[in-house]
Amino acid sequence: MNLPDFFIADLPADAIVTPGLIKSACETLKRNRKQHLKSRTTQEIIHLLCEVGKEWRSPANPFRCHALKLDPEMTGFSRPILERGLEDFFAGFTVENWTALIARQLGEAGCLDAFSNQASNHTASLPSVGPGRSQILALGPELMVHFAAGNLPIPAFMGICLGLILRSAQFIKCSSKASVLPRLFAHSIHALDPKIGSCIEIGAWPGGDAPLETPLLEEADCVTMTGSDEAVNSIRMRIPARARFLAHGHRVGFGYISREMLGAGSVNEMVSRVVDDVTAWDQNGCLSPQVVYVEERGEVESDQFAGRVAVELGRRETFEPRGPISPEESAAIVSRRAIAEALASHRADVKIWSSPKSTAWTVVFEHDVRYQGCPLNRFLIIKPVSGLEDVFRGMDVVRHHISSVGLGASPTRSADLALALARWGVPRICPIGRMQKPPLDWYQDGRPTLGDMVSWSGFELE
Amino acid sequence: MFSKLTQFAGRLDQAMVSGFDSERFDSMALELFGLQWELNPAWQKLCRSRGVHPQSVSNWREIPCVPTAVFKLMDFSCLPEQGHLRVFHSSGTTGQTPGRHRHSSQSLALYEQSAWLWFKHNWGEVQDMIVLLPPPSLAPHSSLAHMIETIRCRENQTSDCFKGHVDGAGVWCVDWEPVIEELQQAAALGKPVDLFGTAFLYVHLLDELETRKLSVKLPAGSKAMETGGYKNRSREMPKAELHAWMGRRLGLLPGQIICEYGMSELSSQAYGRNGDGLEKAERLLRLPPWARVRVVSPENGEEAAQGETGLIQVFDLANAFSVMAIQTEDLGVWEDLGFCGLHGFELLGRSAKAEPRGCSLMTP
Repeated sequence: MNLPDFFIADLPADAIVTPGLIKSACETLKRNRKQHLKSRTTQEIIHLLCEVGKEWRSPANPFRCHALKLDPEMTGFSRPILERGLEDFFAGFTVENWTALIARQLGEAGCLDAFSNQASNHTASLPSVGPGRSQILALGPELMVHFAAGNLPIPAFMGICLGLILRSAQFIKCSSKASVLPRLFAHSIHALDPKIGSCIEIGAWPGGDAPLETPLLEEADCVTMTGSDEAVNSIRMRIPARARFLAHGHRVGFGYISREMLGAGSVNEMVSRVVDDVTAWDQNGCLSPQVVYVEERGEVESDQFAGRVAVELGRRETFEPRGPISPEESAAIVSRRAIAEALASHRADVKIWSSPKSTAWTVVFEHDVRYQGCPLNRFLIIKPVSGLEDVFRGMDVVRHHISSVGLGASPTRSADLALALARWGVPRICPIGRMQKPPLDWYQDGRPTLGDMVSWSGFELE
Repeated sequence: MFSKLTQFAGRLDQAMVSGFDSERFDSMALELFGLQWELNPAWQKLCRSRGVHPQSVSNWREIPCVPTAVFKLMDFSCLPEQGHLRVFHSSGTTGQTPGRHRHSSQSLALYEQSAWLWFKHNWGEVQDMIVLLPPPSLAPHSSLAHMIETIRCRENQTSDCFKGHVDGAGVWCVDWEPVIEELQQAAALGKPVDLFGTAFLYVHLLDELETRKLSVKLPAGSKAMETGGYKNRSREMPKAELHAWMGRRLGLLPGQIICEYGMSELSSQAYGRNGDGLEKAERLLRLPPWARVRVVSPENGEEAAQGETGLIQVFDLANAFSVMAIQTEDLGVWEDLGFCGLHGFELLGRSAKAEPRGCSLMTP
């Protein structure tokens, strides 16, 4: 499939991208938005997004086919893992879900189309009758710039969708090695609605190129970013005062399995769900679990649980293999394995299971509850605990960096555990097995995504 | 058994001095593995967990390596627990547990012999030394400071050649004013000097020269030893860029900058020169004949093909009293040096941080 060169990232590799080109692209985007996007209704946009989602789930869709045929070296993922990740993401593209997202975060679905009486969840409640009555309208930024992380494509896809809902022109800056999937996604929108497609631009260059990024930042009304804390900080310092900056640095996810789920009736399901979460996007997402805490004294003991997870990871490798990784990443796994192997050779309470002759998967079982980093790429650390207090102690070092907790607990305990986790500071608690499948209206890092992007206009009535 | 190890060390020392026969490396490595297996319980356990014992090994390449990371967890030494003279610590991020390598007077003597002989072979005549490091009295756990001290003593130079000190936070610092004056004086008198420092200290020195808008043309015959690592102590820059900058500000030509590769867990070092126009064999890092490099794929542990990036393993007979097979966290490529099956190697970087990408959560 030859993609037409609609976007800067479609240009041949030897094409020179200049600051002038970026500036003029931003001006074109704003002009196109005014003509083709600004006056579209929320309903029209939701309809388009649902069509896009349907297309991406259709086996015959050329963009999906192209994505799945790509060399894993280009995407970073094996075909089955990419297919599962895309399917899970696009399955949520329904009218109900998009409407719920807007209603939940902005008050009501129509508030982007006309003045409405209903106060947003995120504005002070206003009287709707009598003196001082006013109506409010939500307005999206004119130009949004997204700095997309290179590890997985979903944040870039989601950024584009949110921007369209807000009727914003958008420039997506991808890392030079990870632009292909965002490009295909933007082309798929262009194919369904070329006018809306003309309000999107995709550029790709190595991060930190100040001359190229300066015109982008100068033109942007809102900048979103997912990436390393270091990259986030470097952009944060260059954001003009008038622009909004919404950044998501990398986060840590973990799992928690309560002892009553380790009985014969549920343990296999728990093992399978943990492995679903570890293999989703090869554990590269901020929502992926790096550690799973398992309550002791279950019918199946925590070390046996770890062993079963290892067996299941080995089984999955045969049909959902991990994608290729760099020598640096392999070496990081080797280094962490070495520490665990050395400890295991001296102590009975440390165990390690790993893929033979490869770094494809690793499970380390250790009693030390402290979080000590994780090399990712299907490297899971399982720690036995007596309860949540042990978890809070162990994860304290990353307390303010937690993205998500996958919970495997009985219905009778789930609510109490979730409340304790939320009060400790966890922004998202979900069933284990769904860590990489957040609903569209989830609160990323505890913030309303759309709510943070819009501005409000109030109309005070006589 | 320990006396056999002492005898081994004695024979190795003699062989180093009289010209080590590369053909003997394999048999000596296997002999040493057998001795260390008996005397180093931590290593023995690790080997057993991998199903390896001295009878199952027929070649030095099959000896299991101890990853440097594991030196942070346990003691890999053949020495009695008490009575050591020095403990070298691995450098790293402040606040982390360092790796430890214990030395007795015997093991230190072998370390010094190995370090000195291979340094001299690569360096040649030593000029007046200017060392941008703290002296061993201020940095007693630094194997690098000890190595330079060994050179200083054998060259009969004065101890004031060490220009560094250690601040309250344990950071190595240099009072640059007198160093720059000394360099200018050497240039004015046409008297060659030999500089010793780490990459981050050279960055600081060059920054100081830039700030003062100064360049020094060090006289012909001067040399600089640059040894790796930044450890977050300065901004990092590619080696070629640093060396080019050293050329501009210090007047050093390619070939006058000599790269050293060493670590606290080893007793031998590798040397190479950096610069265009030099023969490949000169540019590659080379270990002494009593040590070997092996580059393995981090993905499957197999030996990497020539030119393929992999993890660097070093087999060092001079580590007679600890553990002779070390797997580093450094990535590199090997190349055949074209004689005696010896390999040189090039350093390409380090393994990725184990912390979540971009989130240096553990860094204080």
